[in-house]
Amino acid sequence: MSTDNKVHCIVVTPEKTELDTTCDSIVVPMFDGELGIQFGRAPMVGRLGFGLMKIKSNSGVAEWFVDGGFVQVTREGVYVLTDRLIKPDQIDRKEAEADLDKAMMMVSNSPESAAFKERTLTQARARVRLAK
Amino acid sequence: MANIRQLDKRRKSVKNVRKITRTMELIATARFKKAMDRAAAATDYTKRITSIVQDIANSGTDVSHALLTAHDSVDAMDMLVLTANRGLCGGYNGSVVRAATVRRNEIKKEIEAGQTRVSGKRGISALRFAGVPIEKTYTEFDDQPSFAAVAKIADELIERYISGKIDRVDIAYTKFISISKQTVVVETLLPFASLAPAASVGGSAEPAKASGTRDIYEFLPSASGILEEVVPASFRARLFKCFLDAAVSEQIARMIAMKSATENAGDIIKSLSRTYNRARQSKITQEIMEIIGGVEALG
Repeated sequence: MSTDNKVHCIVVTPEKTELDTTCDSIVVPMFDGELGIQFGRAPMVGRLGFGLMKIKSNSGVAEWFVDGGFVQVTREGVYVLTDRLIKPDQIDRKEAEADLDKAMMMVSNSPESAAFKERTLTQARARVRLAK
Repeated sequence: MANIRQLDKRRKSVKNVRKITRTMELIATARFKKAMDRAAAATDYTKRITSIVQDIANSGTDVSHALLTAHDSVDAMDMLVLTANRGLCGGYNGSVVRAATVRRNEIKKEIEAGQTRVSGKRGISALRFAGVPIEKTYTEFDDQPSFAAVAKIADELIERYISGKIDRVDIAYTKFISISKQTVVVETLLPFASLAPAASVGGSAEPAKASGTRDIYEFLPSASGILEEVVPASFRARLFKCFLDAAVSEQIARMIAMKSATENAGDIIKSLSRTYNRARQSKITQEIMEIIGGVEALG
């Protein structure tokens, strides 16, 4: 990383490295709210929630929808691991709503399956909220 | 003496076949390169996941998760079979189906319940023919399987495993070891054996080594909270890798099958040409003999 206080941000999905840029700061959606990361952030591993990731650079703010995953802050840069990275306007509203309905119908009869249902619900809700 | 015209006709048709197999070989080569690149691109994710898992393990957290623990008794088992949608790829589909049937028969002696899920038209028809009941079929996976589709299957399996509907998941597919070696394997997916993903296509999944010093990480919300998410993510990545391996292996199998088909067609053309030329020559000789005989008879 150079000395000009920039953050190296790398976004990887299981398919490929989606994004590899340098920026001023990043805001990631965590499981409990947003978290801003600037140059010199202490090393951290965090769980991402579902929502908007904002990458601020000289050319403005780029927004991406992050579908869960992790963020890992290291000396070299910020790694965002997510299943899917899409532009917010690419979210399919109908599909999101169908997924939400499906999540509502899930059976939860044990702590594990309840947690799984909760997670699926949150994910579907975030997509419905952000869908245009 | 063989019919000259018939020989010529056959030679022409073999030549056409050679053209077709040659083209298919070229197509398979191009697709193989694409599939290979894709598989190589996917290693970044597994590398990062592995590094996160290592960081968690280094922090002294007890690594345990519902997907990692085996159920007390195995009463139901799901089986996943990955084959190709299309044939003409040598023994690729046959050997996967064979391995899957062998494993299935072994297991069905003890365990009755469970679903068989098959991906690929070839495997579906082969297993149907063998009389194996198939509960779920997938035909949407080609040379470039998408993660979203694979993740759906993974989530279904996770849900079934966690809710206790099944106690084990096996997968039969062709594992990519190197360009010159792919083997059919039947592996147990769940309970999830190890968190560190095995070496993958296009390079090993060694954790991305940073500088010599290991940083002490802050975990949000906590190491165990992250672990809860890392395990399913790692499982999804593992299943995705199986699909990628199968896709790459399929293209390699087709490439090799078509290469030998092209060579074989070349050999047939050679031998047909030889017979054809001999037949033509002997016909000419015979005609000359007839003319000479006629001239002699007149004289």
